[in-house]
Amino acid sequence: MTREELFLAVGAGLAVLGAARLLLTRDLLTRVLALNVASGGVLMILVALALRGGGPDGPDPVLHALVLTGIVITVSVTGFAIGLVRRIEGDLTEGGRR
Amino acid sequence: MSAAPVTILDALLVGGLLAAAGLTLFVPRRSTAVVMFLVFGVLLAIAWTRLGAPDVALAEAAIGAGVTSALLIDAVYERSRRPERATGHHRQVLAVVGAVLAAVLAVGLALVLVDIGPFTSPGPGAADLVADRLDESGVSHPVTAVLLNFRSYDTLLEIAVLLVAVLAALALQPDATLRGVPAPTRTPDLLGLLVRVLAPVLVVVAGWLLVAGSVAPGGAFQAGAVLAGGLLLMRLGGWPGAVPASDLLRPTLAVGLTGFLTLAYLTAALGAGWLDLGAAWAGEAILALEALLTVSIAMTLAALFVANQDPPTPPVGVSSPERTR
Repeated sequence: MTREELFLAVGAGLAVLGAARLLLTRDLLTRVLALNVASGGVLMILVALALRGGGPDGPDPVLHALVLTGIVITVSVTGFAIGLVRRIEGDLTEGGRR
Repeated sequence: MSAAPVTILDALLVGGLLAAAGLTLFVPRRSTAVVMFLVFGVLLAIAWTRLGAPDVALAEAAIGAGVTSALLIDAVYERSRRPERATGHHRQVLAVVGAVLAAVLAVGLALVLVDIGPFTSPGPGAADLVADRLDESGVSHPVTAVLLNFRSYDTLLEIAVLLVAVLAALALQPDATLRGVPAPTRTPDLLGLLVRVLAPVLVVVAGWLLVAGSVAPGGAFQAGAVLAGGLLLMRLGGWPGAVPASDLLRPTLAVGLTGFLTLAYLTAALGAGWLDLGAAWAGEAILALEALLTVSIAMTLAALFVANQDPPTPPVGVSSPERTR
């Protein structure tokens, strides 16, 4: 087994683990974490494919650029989602944030 | 690329990643889960370097592990995970069915992925194509060339998504600004000293990452994340104006997208076409655009963090056994 194959398989495992937990949990913060774990798995698949598809100068830069875009999108979605979680849980337990 | 064999380091890394992911998703305490996620992010950054992706590793360390974990840690310090309601037979069956389906899907997906053949151009891969046209892009680092020249639509839309996300997060505030979030008032001396030492260093590192992105791993995203860390540190260390509350906030958030759209319209009206950069001046245009993007990305990440900070006094009547501050 090569390094790419190992990381491809683990990326698939992480993506499915995160996605399954995302669908099956009721805890809102766990959902945010699960989305991030799933995203890590998907990005790992892309980076491993970039290694496999590389030319003589190194791995495929198009996939690396896509992964960079994915990381930034994930953090912005996470930031907004945490805001929503705090709002929802604050409203549920305190009857209003302030 | 010749196929590299699996080393012991790879095996340890993969084991650590799976363990950290499992703990993140299944430990009952929220604070433990978030710390495990931080570990997961650091291990991912190491994994990217093992896979020959230093740009991604830098971004993961700064954004994925750094900013995301800061957001999460600040979000959970006083709340424990809501207990899963054990509502009998139905949910248990659902959990078992879900686990079995997930296992089948994971194994199937892994087999398909491992089975994909060589992935080189001509074909689905574009590595050779990028290498052939790199001279026309204005920069010599292929990832930057893809991000800001060959596939700049992706980056344009990504900046738009960032702006929408931070505006949505601001909309959750009472008056859609950061005025309602109290600035830290009491600064420990040691933190103040640390800020005075670290903030200039972080600004210089961000500038270096920005300029280095033309020829080496780095660029606007990594620089923006480092600069965001500097801004937050300054805010915590007694300069609340580092992240402006209202008047300057929105222009700073929008300047990246505005610059990108301006460049797009200029190239469409005066040049060869929408975002079609001429080889003679592409390098300068990319650097100028990246400088604007760095400012916007830094302020976006900092504003997302500040918008999610709690008011200092805990709400009455909420028991918070994990609260330590």
